[in-house]
Amino acid sequence: MDSSRISIRPFRLSDANDFFSWAKDDRLTQYLRWNTITSREEALKYLKDVAIPHPWRRSICLDDHSIGYISIRPESGDDQHRAHVGYGVGVEYWGQGIVTMALKMAISSVFKEFSYLVRLEALVEEENKGSQRVLEKAGFQKEGFLRKYGFNKGEIRDMYIYSFLSTDKIV
Amino acid sequence: KSINFQPYIFEPVFVKQKQMEHKEVDDEFSDITLRLFDLSDIDDFMEWATDDQVSRFCSWETYTSKEAATNHIVDVVIPHPWYRAICLKDRAIGAISVTPNEGNDICRAELGYVLGSKYWGKGIVSRAVQMVASTVFIEWPHLERLEALVDVNNPGSQRVLEKAGFQREGVLRKYFLQKGKSRDAVIFSLLSTDPKVNSFM
Repeated sequence: MDSSRISIRPFRLSDANDFFSWAKDDRLTQYLRWNTITSREEALKYLKDVAIPHPWRRSICLDDHSIGYISIRPESGDDQHRAHVGYGVGVEYWGQGIVTMALKMAISSVFKEFSYLVRLEALVEEENKGSQRVLEKAGFQKEGFLRKYGFNKGEIRDMYIYSFLSTDKIV
Repeated sequence: KSINFQPYIFEPVFVKQKQMEHKEVDDEFSDITLRLFDLSDIDDFMEWATDDQVSRFCSWETYTSKEAATNHIVDVVIPHPWYRAICLKDRAIGAISVTPNEGNDICRAELGYVLGSKYWGKGIVSRAVQMVASTVFIEWPHLERLEALVDVNNPGSQRVLEKAGFQREGVLRKYFLQKGKSRDAVIFSLLSTDPKVNSFM
């Protein structure tokens, strides 16, 4: 994939159709905390109520069309030096290095924007090998295996924890 | 809102470690019980809360006033979902807490503990942790994972967890930012399905 075609930017209401086309896919949302979007109305509402007001959520774009998202959420209070990273991209775009590219863009951008940020962390389910590869290619370090860490879509799941520090080098 | 209270003990590495491990718990220090805090515990609370040695690996600053300590007991300790005084002959010498997560993540809770420095090295926190481990999963049937985060430079506290059967899962880099310095943390977990160490000997 030609990296000049990939960009990250804030979501717009006009992304609703593109957003709906990937957010309605269970194969994408199965590992995410949010539920599959089931209608265009819901897609528009989600953009308006969640994606756009979010402190740091970006659309991953191919030729300026939304094909996925990256979200960075700092912890609150004393832990705000730590932020959680989440991402997803339409199934037809998997395996082309797109999320890795977008993640690298996001990393350099977010450490500049939030100067107090020290640590980005990501939690990935054991069977989600694709997502583990994305993080490793972007330079995240795998730190450990957390047993029965979190509840998602009806089950308590084991997860790998990865991190990227403000002092780490973007590969 | 869940309270992020992460107190840890520090056992000086140069104290006869091997001897400590094989030594049986002194009879004098085996009458350990856990109970709820009360405002009348304030003076005992101040004993460790004002001690720099104790706060060293903790997220909180050493307390300098009885008023601040009282506010902490009223605002944080008493309303907390699971917070107990570690008592020797019913006098509070430390504290142990289990802080649950919110929403769907209530399957997971974080263990924290603190002990007055003159009681270190006698297996007291180990005993308290083992007591908690053998009862909290029964008290909270929805709990599947009890985790603890310990500073990499606090081997005494890591040993407490290992002795209680916790599994070391990894090192989280720059996990804590305490008093302006970032610190790495070792993450440990004990599952409801893991074997529990029996402390009632």
